[in-house]
Amino acid sequence: MQGYLWFAAKRFIQLLAVIFFGVSAMFVVTYLSPIDPVEQVLGRLSARSNLSPEAIAATRLALTEMFGTDQPVLTQYVNFWSRLLRGDLGASLMAFPTPAMELVLRAMPWTLGLLLTSTAITFVVGNLAGGLAGYFQNSRLLKAFGIVTMGLQPIPYYIVAFIILIVFGYLWPVLPISGGFAMDVRPGWTLPFILSVLQHSLLPALSLVLVGLGGWFIGMRALVSNIVTEDYVTYAELAGVRRDTIVGDYVIRNALVPQVTALAMVIGGVFSGTVITEQVFNYPGMGSLLVDAVNAGDYSTVLAVCTISIAAVALAIFIVDLLHPLLDPRVRAE
Amino acid sequence: MDRRSFLLGTAVGALTVAANGLAFAQDAGGTAPDLAQFPRNETVIVHNPEGIIRNPSWFNLWAVGAGNGTSNGLHNLTTDTLWFIDPDAGIEGASENAVYNSLADDLWQYNADFTEMSVKLKQGIFWSDGVEFTADDVVFTVEKQKATPGTPYNGAFSAQVAEVTAPDKYSVHFKLNAPNSRFHALFSVRWTAAWIMPKHVYEKVEDILTYDANPPVSIGPYTLHSFDPNGTWYIWQKREDWQRTALGMIAEPKPKFVIYRNNITTDNRLIEIRNGNLDMVHDLTPEGTFAVVKDDPQIQGWFPGFPYAHPDPTLPMIIFNHQNEKFQDKRVRWALALMLDARAMSMASYRGAATLSAISVPPTGTHPRDYHAPLQDFLINYEVDTGTRKIKPYDPNIGLQIADMVRPQFGDAVPTDEAAVRNAFGYGWWKQDVAAAEELLTAAGFTKNGNQWMMPNGEPFAFELMVPQEGVINRLGVMIAQMWSQAGVQATAQVDSDPWGRQRVGNYETNIAWAVETWGGHPDLSFFLDSYHSAYVAKPGESQPDRNWMRWTDPRLDTIIENIRKIDFNDPKGIEYGHEFVKLHLEEMPNIPIMAYNVFSIQSNRFWTGWPNAENPYANPVTNWSNGRYIFTQISPVAG
Repeated sequence: MQGYLWFAAKRFIQLLAVIFFGVSAMFVVTYLSPIDPVEQVLGRLSARSNLSPEAIAATRLALTEMFGTDQPVLTQYVNFWSRLLRGDLGASLMAFPTPAMELVLRAMPWTLGLLLTSTAITFVVGNLAGGLAGYFQNSRLLKAFGIVTMGLQPIPYYIVAFIILIVFGYLWPVLPISGGFAMDVRPGWTLPFILSVLQHSLLPALSLVLVGLGGWFIGMRALVSNIVTEDYVTYAELAGVRRDTIVGDYVIRNALVPQVTALAMVIGGVFSGTVITEQVFNYPGMGSLLVDAVNAGDYSTVLAVCTISIAAVALAIFIVDLLHPLLDPRVRAE
Repeated sequence: MDRRSFLLGTAVGALTVAANGLAFAQDAGGTAPDLAQFPRNETVIVHNPEGIIRNPSWFNLWAVGAGNGTSNGLHNLTTDTLWFIDPDAGIEGASENAVYNSLADDLWQYNADFTEMSVKLKQGIFWSDGVEFTADDVVFTVEKQKATPGTPYNGAFSAQVAEVTAPDKYSVHFKLNAPNSRFHALFSVRWTAAWIMPKHVYEKVEDILTYDANPPVSIGPYTLHSFDPNGTWYIWQKREDWQRTALGMIAEPKPKFVIYRNNITTDNRLIEIRNGNLDMVHDLTPEGTFAVVKDDPQIQGWFPGFPYAHPDPTLPMIIFNHQNEKFQDKRVRWALALMLDARAMSMASYRGAATLSAISVPPTGTHPRDYHAPLQDFLINYEVDTGTRKIKPYDPNIGLQIADMVRPQFGDAVPTDEAAVRNAFGYGWWKQDVAAAEELLTAAGFTKNGNQWMMPNGEPFAFELMVPQEGVINRLGVMIAQMWSQAGVQATAQVDSDPWGRQRVGNYETNIAWAVETWGGHPDLSFFLDSYHSAYVAKPGESQPDRNWMRWTDPRLDTIIENIRKIDFNDPKGIEYGHEFVKLHLEEMPNIPIMAYNVFSIQSNRFWTGWPNAENPYANPVTNWSNGRYIFTQISPVAG
């Protein structure tokens, strides 16, 4: 037990280091961005009005002071960390003075809801089908499933998404193609709201699942194809162990360890959102928030999204590291 | 707990947290509307081109950079100011020379030297909370913004207004810091202007920059009904007392509800208008428009047939950086213009649906009447000295040729009447004349090495043409770079994600954008021309005020601008000065004007009809302009 605690402590220190260096690197990257948030606001303001050059210059001065972009980079860096340690990521510069974290928290549940669900579906279905296809290599049904998923896999995601949009939005318009929920539903823990969210998430989720299945399927099938030739599987079959026990407990379980590691990386990555899905289906989420923030030079919001994303990936890896001994007895023994 | 239970419990817990967050994050919204309340004969649904509104519950338009929606109905339906100047003709009887008196009861009155301006206000206008609009609101608007950095007109009012007073309840008097015959433009809406603040609301707010104004007090005929906490739709409801608003005094706005939907991609809005879920779409791609008008006869564009699009009072052009020595000789700029084929540019960018303009005035609104038609003979006879000979580069029939090119594909949708063709495709453009271009370059000291032009300093004539990431302007820029390359100039189209930012600081060689925007319905050119004065040209690397992105300076230009400043906005002499500017521009060719920024705005006649179009151009149909509000007084429901 002491060894496990020491292992966990080392991993925890590693986690903190990854977060610190990752966030610091992001700070440098956003600082180096050529996009000036003041000029972005000014551009929007002056492009459509009839402001004199003197008026624009005066507004530039006022905004620079408000946004604090005139401070030295080191001061900004120290201020950023001192705020971050208090849980404050500063005011968004594209929605000033709203806290950047408020923007992130508004978008995050949509991203998590959509991506965690679709990732869970693709992981379970893809691995299960891949595991069975690797074991029952002569099954026609599983072969057909493999052809379909592997056929969809190389198609660029946006093509699949647009086909779904046209089929279910235009040719057979049975599902909503825009937004997170209907206009006539009050948000909250009510059945109409939940049903509306589910209805609106069907097309985006379907597009993600269709494209995402192939990777898990191929990976799992390859892993299982190797494992079925192992001596202990042959021995179990000869010993008359039940087929479902062999497939579930001996084969798929052993093949699952690398897949779970990959899952951790994917789950960590969902915090960045999926830009194309959000754009095609006008779905709210973190991806479009990040793009908007980059384009607006809103480094507070960029840093907020990236900090959460970095922390999520690092945390996911940390959790998987801790879970490995629970999943794999060989790791536990080591 | 065994391992399986632990893993299952963790997964369920994570999903619960996520779902709970989803519900929690939505609590900021207003009351949920019941769609049954919005019968389509009472509800107009408008596409707003804004993306996701990042600060959806913010309705204070007097704080800069707050991330709120603007054209989500807020500045279309709830705001008002002294005057509106329509980009098109304006409603007959309600406007004169495209100018509407909105909160003002009459036009601006200046003293002789334009150092003071007086305004009479309309009586009987009320804010949506029942408080009467008076001169105190106007005075407060100016004084509050003057005193508050971070408000949109802080700089303008600080620089220009010495004093503002209210001699009586319905009169306002301004004393200016310097003569300014266009001061009223600050209160004249083209796309937006200085909106009047409700004094009784904002005088009680300690820091107006942190005040969200939710719900907003409206001086327009609509108030907020509800909105999406994720920032993708807003619903506005007609006030019971809509007659007590400036718009209501023109006519009753017909829809009881107006829904603005934003963050809808091009493909989605194409499908949504086809499915009856939108009545007005801000813009589509040319191809999308051609497809949907063919598919649905109830959908209309600005023109009844090809090219369908509405020409905005904006003029996409090739902008040379005059602070770059490669482009300081006007013969070089003219040579580059003569290397271009207008037909190829029109086809590449708009698939032929472009409205060309050879002069530096957009071919839209009333400008063809005031500029393009009267200057047609001048252009036909205009001569350019190539150093070898004199040529007449203008081709008055290029629009007709493009119409002939697209006719095989679009058939009867393409007009045949010559006047209609000129209106839709433009009055003409420069003939592609590579031989003349070569003569001009040779006269400017350039030499040719094989197919490569060399500059007088012996280096290859090579430069970058900055283009946006996508859209018609991107396609236009790529085609231009290709034509220059074919003519021996190493032009490279460079895609940039922030072309306006680079343009502002002069970090480019050539650029496709626009340095000309006009009122549209009024011939005065000061909207863009005043900022062309040499006093405003920044040093290389410094931020250049809008809109002289070329950083062009010329004492003759300064004289024209100063002459315009000395006359009244409606003085007919303004058109004469405008013609002088056009002629000076032709002589110098500081940029190469190409075509109007055509916006493929479409409307559906399925539920509502009476939309503006080229035959009845009473308003601009492009949905994010706040003067689109006048449309709601002119449309009527198809059923009941």
